[in-house]
Amino acid sequence: MHEDMRTLLNAYLDGELNGWRLLEMQTHLASCAACRNELKELRLVSDLLQANSAPEFTPAERFVSQLTLSLPRPVLEPGLPRRLLRDRLPKFGSLAGWLVPAGLLGAWFFVQTVFTLTGVITAANITGLLGHAASWLGSGQESIWFSAVTSLFGGQAVGTLPTLSLLNNVSVFGANLLSGFLWQALIVLLFWAWLSIWWLSGGLRPMKMRNAS
Amino acid sequence: MAQPQTAATETSLIEQAQNSDRNAFGELVRRHYQGVVLVVYRMCGDTGLAEDAAQEAFLRAWVHLPSYQPQACLRNWLYRIAINAALDVLRRKPEETLEEEDAQMVTDQAPGPETALIEKERVVLLQQAMKSLPEAARSVLVLREYSGLSYQEIASILEVPVGTVMSRLNYARNRLREILNLYKAKTESEYA
Repeated sequence: MHEDMRTLLNAYLDGELNGWRLLEMQTHLASCAACRNELKELRLVSDLLQANSAPEFTPAERFVSQLTLSLPRPVLEPGLPRRLLRDRLPKFGSLAGWLVPAGLLGAWFFVQTVFTLTGVITAANITGLLGHAASWLGSGQESIWFSAVTSLFGGQAVGTLPTLSLLNNVSVFGANLLSGFLWQALIVLLFWAWLSIWWLSGGLRPMKMRNAS
Repeated sequence: MAQPQTAATETSLIEQAQNSDRNAFGELVRRHYQGVVLVVYRMCGDTGLAEDAAQEAFLRAWVHLPSYQPQACLRNWLYRIAINAALDVLRRKPEETLEEEDAQMVTDQAPGPETALIEKERVVLLQQAMKSLPEAARSVLVLREYSGLSYQEIASILEVPVGTVMSRLNYARNRLREILNLYKAKTESEYA
């Protein structure tokens, strides 16, 4: 008990004890002359330390002037671009920060749906599964080379028309496929760009105060 | 330029200084100079060394300011840098410089009443004893006695648990108390 209280004498002297600890110390001091004496000596040490006044230093204004002249150019530390980006970009947790990936995901879903439906409808149209139900689609898409051949040869090409028509459909299907892939590639690229910016701006990692040595 | 900066909040000054604004940094230095120079003086016990250490501390602060997180207390951050700078300056400086200054301080005392002289001698004795303390204990003692920081703040500055702050402070004050008691016994025997 006495030793426990002794170790807390400095904390008591510095006003760092509170609650039941403080009460316990006060009760102990009332009955323990050794601790009272030690506390008195510790207080004397503290008073003597503080009695030694500090000398005069260079006035703040002059110190600042001298210091400002000797300031080096600040070193751009590796983390600085990230910090600057973090300050300038919308915060990851904010609505604006989430709108970008959500929008990109929505765009990808839309493109994927359109692409799939187009492929299904085109395939059904080619195979005649839709019959007259697909008449609203018109006469179907024509590739440039098919339009050129039919306009150049007209009736002469009639004999080979089913073959050419099949080639045209395959060509249109390929063009649609390519177009779908390009759109998706663009969306993926934009998503990667967003991810990179998010990472540069700090991501989800907790920020720590660096130690300046 | 000086007037608006005086009114500016510390946060905005930090932001400006982080963007290499020397005037804003100068204002921050002006605000914290007294605290920093006192901490380094108590660590070094020498005016010249203290000013060198203060200059080094603020230069380091300027260099590391871009990585400073405003969530942390600037004063505590500066004190941590100041203590490290003071210790570095002390390690580089020959020991004789300090002893010469202490000797000068004792001989400079004007003759006066006996008790006042003893009091002054005790102050000088404690200052010398402080220099003999381990760096870790001295840092805690300086931050507590001269900067008036709480144990929690000291723990945060030195990045140690509060319990460690308490044990270092116990060690430091008890050591000084022992030295003081020895001195008291010596003077009493001399007068007897």
